[in-house]
Amino acid sequence: MRSARGVMSWWWMAALIVGFAAATADAQTVDGVAVDAEAELVVAVPDDTNNMDPRIGMGSTRSAYIRQVFESLVDVDAQGKPLPGLALSWKPVGDLTWEFTLRRGVTFHNGEAFNADTVLFNLDRMFRKNLDRWGIKDVTAATSFEKVYPTVSRWEKSGDYTVRIHTSEPLPNLWDAIGREPLVPREYTVKNGIEALNERPVGTGPWKMVVWKRNDSMRFERNESYWGSPPLFKRLRFQVIPEAGGRLAALRAGQVALVDAVPPLDAGVLGREAGIKVVSSPQKLYCRIYLNARPKDKFDSGGKDGLFGDSRVRLALNLAVNKEGIVQKIFHGYAQANASPVASVAYGYAAQEPYAYDVKRARALLAEAGWKDAGPDGVLRKDGETLTLQLLFPAKHYGQGFDETTPAVAEMLKAVGVQVVIKTIDYGSLLQTVTKGTLPYNGGFSACRTSNNLDADDYLRDWTAITLINWVPYPPELAELYRATRREVDPQKRLKLLADLQRRVRDWAPVVSLYQEVKIYAASARVLHFVPLTDLHMDFRGVALRKP
Amino acid sequence: MSRFLVRRLIHGVVVVWGVVTVVFFLVRLTGDPAAFLVDQSATREEIEHTRRLLGLDRPLAEQYVAFLLAAPRGDFGNSIRDKRPAMRLVLEHFWPATVELAVAAALLSTVLAVPLGVLSATHKDGVADHLSRLGSLLLQSMPGFWLGLLLILLFAVELRGLLPAYGFGTWRHLVLPAVALAAAPLAQNARLVRAGMLEALQQDFVRTARAKGVPERAVLYRHAFKNAAIPFITVTGLSLGFMLSGAIIIETVFAWPGLGRLIVQAVPGRDFPVIQAGVFVFALIFVALNLLVDLLYAVVDPRVRLS
Repeated sequence: MRSARGVMSWWWMAALIVGFAAATADAQTVDGVAVDAEAELVVAVPDDTNNMDPRIGMGSTRSAYIRQVFESLVDVDAQGKPLPGLALSWKPVGDLTWEFTLRRGVTFHNGEAFNADTVLFNLDRMFRKNLDRWGIKDVTAATSFEKVYPTVSRWEKSGDYTVRIHTSEPLPNLWDAIGREPLVPREYTVKNGIEALNERPVGTGPWKMVVWKRNDSMRFERNESYWGSPPLFKRLRFQVIPEAGGRLAALRAGQVALVDAVPPLDAGVLGREAGIKVVSSPQKLYCRIYLNARPKDKFDSGGKDGLFGDSRVRLALNLAVNKEGIVQKIFHGYAQANASPVASVAYGYAAQEPYAYDVKRARALLAEAGWKDAGPDGVLRKDGETLTLQLLFPAKHYGQGFDETTPAVAEMLKAVGVQVVIKTIDYGSLLQTVTKGTLPYNGGFSACRTSNNLDADDYLRDWTAITLINWVPYPPELAELYRATRREVDPQKRLKLLADLQRRVRDWAPVVSLYQEVKIYAASARVLHFVPLTDLHMDFRGVALRKP
Repeated sequence: MSRFLVRRLIHGVVVVWGVVTVVFFLVRLTGDPAAFLVDQSATREEIEHTRRLLGLDRPLAEQYVAFLLAAPRGDFGNSIRDKRPAMRLVLEHFWPATVELAVAAALLSTVLAVPLGVLSATHKDGVADHLSRLGSLLLQSMPGFWLGLLLILLFAVELRGLLPAYGFGTWRHLVLPAVALAAAPLAQNARLVRAGMLEALQQDFVRTARAKGVPERAVLYRHAFKNAAIPFITVTGLSLGFMLSGAIIIETVFAWPGLGRLIVQAVPGRDFPVIQAGVFVFALIFVALNLLVDLLYAVVDPRVRLS
């Protein structure tokens, strides 16, 4: 893993450092432009974070805040590729051990040293081990590492700056699974309790949190002792402005210099305005229609298997949806159609043949699956049953584009003889339904999923254990292929296996793939070198503010 | 008077207990917050673990008793989303942000409504009356978010930052949201004062006062307005109550960190402790304001006896 990619990463890092050095050689200019090293960058964001303790959760909003303060072993570049972070390198040592070599000379904002003990403490927290020994409480965590990675058996240090993690089975994506978790200081947490991580977070990152006014703003100050080059401006503020119109008005009024989450419809107009730059990047948020194909013993079924167990039916529904039309008409080009089950910006992604918009072939596939006797209403039937999809639609949760897409898709599905009954519900009610397993046997739901990780495994794991979003469990041959990707430690062989699995999942079509999000930012001309990431957060290292 | 106060306070306690009890059971009927805290790829086992950590696996009766014992101390537990004491979160959003905005808007809507309403009534069917009624109609018809966005476009964008587009902290930040929030109640109050004044000005005591040579200003404000004020006080009290409970739309448009947004975020997230603490505060506000309004009746109209 580290060999070829590692060399590239080192080059990238070296280029970054040279860039910083060139930029800071004369602290007042970047690329010959006078910059204000004492300035404040105000970023308008749609929402506040709920927590700063990374163990509690790292959703897209939270990640944007948390990763300014806390860092992980594995960093990420703008294209989503892994870079050395708090670990200088990582490599498998045999089939059942991974070794991380840590960066030296790194300190937390409070002066506490970062070393192997820090990593061991964080691993204890992640896997809920030795919490009593440390005298800290457990927290409600989004990811239960001990459940998701049960093969991770123990961890140890083999020097002050080397950590080894052992597994009972090969775990080729361990570098990503463990390496992307932001790390908190051991002594500070033990002394002040885990509440302090939320109230007064102390990390190793380029920004120190100074003030957090809930639902209003979070202010940061440059970490002058940052192990890399310190940021090129002094203060950073995330200002919560929930309404997109309000965020854009604040940008036009000069009150903020960068706007997060610009609606696609506004991006075109903004791009033509003087003094405003629009930049975008594909994201990991992947929106789909999930269909019920669970066997009857895996949900509250009323004695019936899920209606969408036949992969030909699911494939037909994919062919019935004009994905390019959605991307162009609803998202104005700021989205991607993707036939792979993996986001295009994930490590191990392999592009797949698109699901062509082909109503004829969709109808043929449905007929092949036995759905051919259309009644006077045009709805297909088989053995007296109509092809009905009761579609739960969590409106007002994923944004306007999503809210427009679901009804549009319902109309497209009707055109091939599927009766779609949309039930608009709030997101919480959708979660209750999928948690309790009370989705109707002919039910489905539209939803989006994202990832905190870089590796394709996070997406391909979706159809293994029965979870909230797994309504089409892998058949045995795909389950075996998935397990093979988890056993293979040779990077090249694993990439091949991942590509093979993606191709087969594409044909097996567990979901109706809709679109992958492209995130749009608008910046004032004062902001220099802001590059949007494919990851969930924003990186301000290397960003500068032009002198007014 | 003191018997009245004691009786009303006892009523108030019963009302608050009733409201928080209903809310306690209602929010639990809407579902389980554990699913919000885990990844979508979480198994049932992981969700169960989260429920245990939140104490939601305990019998409902046990949860309710624990809630009743802790609530009088202001302990509503920790917010499920924010992991901080729920009452602290509610109070942080209530004071000063919500109070500041509500009081400013209430002052604006009452202080302007009285002269407008009186002017309209004393110049019935005249130009001032028509303008005042037309203005009231416009202000009442305009959705708050639309008016808010218009104000931002005009004062923050077109006039290059004359007033800030968002935020909280100084009087300049307060102007636009207070105006947007006050618009509808101002119009409603002006119409209410006008209607009350028109009725009062027809009464015998007004004619008597004028016949006695009482100055017109005193006739209007000391005699007629006092009689027209009862419905005005009732509506103002209620409207202040609603404003103090948070003005979600205006708070959202102006990024005002008030109570409305906190509660609206807590409801879909099934953040039971924050919802309960918020409703507790709302109930207290309404009980206190109702009491205050009743006391004001007696001040304004001596015929009202509190006993």
